[in-house]
Amino acid sequence: MPKPALAESLLRKPRHVGAPVARAPALVGIALLVLEIGAAGAQVKLLPTEEAFRFSARALDARTVEASFAVADGYYLYRDKLRFSATPPEVSLGPVALPAGKVKEDQFFGKVETYRDRVVVRLPLDHAAAGQAVTVRAESQGCADVGVCYPPNAQSVTVTLPQAGAPPGPLIDANPPRKRWFN
Amino acid sequence: MNEESPRPPRGRRWLAYAIAALVALGLGVYAFRLLPDPAPGSRDSGPLLAVSLPDVDGHPQSLSQWRGRLLVVNFWATWCAPCKEEMPMFVEAQSAHGAKGLQFVGIAVDDAVKVRQFAKEIGLNYPALIGGYGAMELSKTLGNTIMALPFTIVIDPKGKVVLTQLGPVRPAQLERLVADFL
Repeated sequence: MPKPALAESLLRKPRHVGAPVARAPALVGIALLVLEIGAAGAQVKLLPTEEAFRFSARALDARTVEASFAVADGYYLYRDKLRFSATPPEVSLGPVALPAGKVKEDQFFGKVETYRDRVVVRLPLDHAAAGQAVTVRAESQGCADVGVCYPPNAQSVTVTLPQAGAPPGPLIDANPPRKRWFN
Repeated sequence: MNEESPRPPRGRRWLAYAIAALVALGLGVYAFRLLPDPAPGSRDSGPLLAVSLPDVDGHPQSLSQWRGRLLVVNFWATWCAPCKEEMPMFVEAQSAHGAKGLQFVGIAVDDAVKVRQFAKEIGLNYPALIGGYGAMELSKTLGNTIMALPFTIVIDPKGKVVLTQLGPVRPAQLERLVADFL
């Protein structure tokens, strides 16, 4: 009578082998989880504009602010769309020399210069005084290589101009990176 | 009758339950990921169809006038190169499938002068509505949380949102939509 024997063995065994039997599907389950997390990471995830183009600034001395953009990998800024201004209004910006960008031949815009990775710009201030708080506003526009563009965006940083002979002020982020559980 | 088999220690049983729970969680997550994105289908096209924006001549145009067609609403701008790159494909598709019920509508995050000029350049054969920056906010309410362009929403003839996409539309996607809904 093979059938009762089989039934008996089925009834009897599970308790002994419960845990080891559970292990194989557990491994499969964990493997699937890992696979899924990996696949989610591989998907193109676009950054919000302030994270793709991180603006920061520091006061070099009483007459100069150094503005910079950290451009995320796979993103670029247009050189001719960069604009800077400073407040209070009596602190006027002198002529700004933008560094040369990488020349890109664009189907619609012709020759355009773009910035990747990092761009640093010195902003000369007129009528500024040591110890004064100055807000620097940067307008920028850029795109991601995956084929999306962000609208013109403005970011501001307020720095305090150091006293004569004092070292440069700290680098201040317009949007300090947020702590995240995942990423 | 099988009382002779000793029960495993309590700790081992809990471990087995914990592993089983983990397995269930893993399978659940996996199954959930396998499901198609529930957002586009469940999202109501009503708010978008209720939108009315001026065309390049300043005449208000309500999106509801294209209800019943396979409606491709494309948010774009003249400052967006990838947007301009995909538009000739839309022009082509509009002339090829317009009679069958395909309808493109562009919503420009831009001003009328620039839009009119570019429309002329590429021979735009579908309506270009002027949304200004407000159109960016509109697209955000429709799922464009990153607020970048191009952003495209496709509404099937029954009024169901069947595609919501940030980034260029691939030719194959367009072909599939036409094959599936027209």
